[in-house]
Amino acid sequence: MTDKMESGFAQHPERLGSGVAGLDTVLLGGFVKNGLYIIQGAPGAGKTILGNQICYRHAADGGRALYVTLLSEQHERLLANLEQMIFFDPAKIAHEISYVSAFQLLERDGLAGLLTLLRREIVAHAASLLVLDGLVAAEAYASTHLELKKFVHELQTLAAAAECTMFLLTSSGATADASDIRPEHTMVDGIISLHDTEHGWRGERDVVVRKFRGSDHLRGRHALCITANGIMVWPRTESLPLPEARRVRDPAAPRLSSGVAGLDEMIGGGLPSASSTVVLGPVGAGKTALGLQFLAGCTQEQRGIWLGFYETPERLLARAREMAPALPELVQSGAVQVHWHGGAEGLIDRVAFDLLQSVQTQRATRVVIDGLLGFEDMTVQPTRIPGFYKALTDQLREFGVTSLCTAEINERMPPPVAQPPLDRLSTLAENLILLRHVEEDGALRRLVSVLKMRDSAFDPRRRGFSIRQGGIVLDGTDAKMMGRRAASPDAAPGA
Amino acid sequence: MATILVVDDEFGIGELLEALLQDDGHRVFTAMNGRHALERMAEATPDLVISDLMMPVMDGANLLRAIRDNAEYKAVPFMLMCALPESSIADRIQGYDAFLRKPFKLAEMSGLVTDLLNPKA
Repeated sequence: MTDKMESGFAQHPERLGSGVAGLDTVLLGGFVKNGLYIIQGAPGAGKTILGNQICYRHAADGGRALYVTLLSEQHERLLANLEQMIFFDPAKIAHEISYVSAFQLLERDGLAGLLTLLRREIVAHAASLLVLDGLVAAEAYASTHLELKKFVHELQTLAAAAECTMFLLTSSGATADASDIRPEHTMVDGIISLHDTEHGWRGERDVVVRKFRGSDHLRGRHALCITANGIMVWPRTESLPLPEARRVRDPAAPRLSSGVAGLDEMIGGGLPSASSTVVLGPVGAGKTALGLQFLAGCTQEQRGIWLGFYETPERLLARAREMAPALPELVQSGAVQVHWHGGAEGLIDRVAFDLLQSVQTQRATRVVIDGLLGFEDMTVQPTRIPGFYKALTDQLREFGVTSLCTAEINERMPPPVAQPPLDRLSTLAENLILLRHVEEDGALRRLVSVLKMRDSAFDPRRRGFSIRQGGIVLDGTDAKMMGRRAASPDAAPGA
Repeated sequence: MATILVVDDEFGIGELLEALLQDDGHRVFTAMNGRHALERMAEATPDLVISDLMMPVMDGANLLRAIRDNAEYKAVPFMLMCALPESSIADRIQGYDAFLRKPFKLAEMSGLVTDLLNPKA
């Protein structure tokens, strides 16, 4: 099947980078050059910052930009606010980027006068990019919808003739309701919608590409932040296409040791290469210890990443000295990176995007995600978690990464049950390992069971284990336990 | 300053060309199709005709033929505009002096206008 048949678009028209890496990913390469786009959003949504960010990126790439305001911010206030942004470069102003106020002319000569001014300024400045900030004011001077559409149509013709990519910034039609279609929407080449939505006490920003002519794009909502770096966008993880150079699964590829000799025996020599494993267990069952031991198997050639939410890097390394003594040195040498995402609020797509970026730059082959509940705690959309987890591990697999994720469950015997939304993970993970406690002679004893292992046989018998100096050590097969009141390993969590 | 007739059924193109050529100091008048263009030419003979190919009532090819068949107009330079590449129309339409592919670039349009109005000896 050809690319065209799959996506509907065979051509890859010349693109204009937005200066926002994540947005360019959503647009599969940036805006189509010489197109006409609407950037819409309620006041405070980030339209002006995005418009300016696009201008400064364009100027940095050698282009010339014209920023025309219509009854929006005064230029001195606009520039004062932009000074806080890293992308702002005053040396570009007046030559590469020109700021023009056109409201008085609009008031006097209407849309026809505005169009004439835009045409003349584009030619005079040899501008290859135009931002018109305040389309809503122009709308007010259109006596009919048709007149506004005619204005937009003529702008579109000018964009193509002048080889000038244009952005119209407006607060009209900025509701999250996709059915809020305005006349000008039918005319333009694309609509970028910025939102700032409250979820209970929290607020989250996102961007949606509602229309994008001539190219495919990543549909749906994508996380957005406004920082001193300007607008930042992280594509929704579930929407990310898999890497082009997909790996062919090699069943004969050597397995990766879990770091626990007895466990490797149970699973046929180690975890299958480029597979995803979920380790379920209650608090204190040894999930983090297993993750540390797995990552201690890294080398300078086979690098790794630890992603955690709860334990600080310092505390984690202190535990590693006890349970996986090789790990601190690997961290010190850079063979293993530690990513820690503390704090109660965050963006799961930012965490995932940063992880995937690091996997590529680090050329990591092992990743441990300690505490999948950390993603659930972080997001205002917990129902996304199973799909998010699947998308993330699919990406990791395509990059050749063997991942091990830990997930906490409530200890209820019998059976152990993962809570929503983790309950679906048991079906999504390729390999599933369950750690539990059982009472024995007035003390808690740890047990490990393998519930599922991709493409291979495994020892279904549960084994006792202890955590000592140096890490997890498995006991012999615990025949005694078979008759005790322990959870049945045959009952998959959540089943 | 020259007198230029712009013929296009698409108002955005006609209006843009009119504005751009006026900015360059030319006198511009417009028509919506070939028949309308011949009516406008009866009022004043232009120094240059810029015409779209695909139009209702009378298209650019028939307008070109009518101009070339008319003793009074046949020397008027004719610039043909089309969204198709020139190679796809050249074998069936002859007699135009310049071809402008749509969407056109300002610099290209302006250069062709200058060349047609100031032919080298």
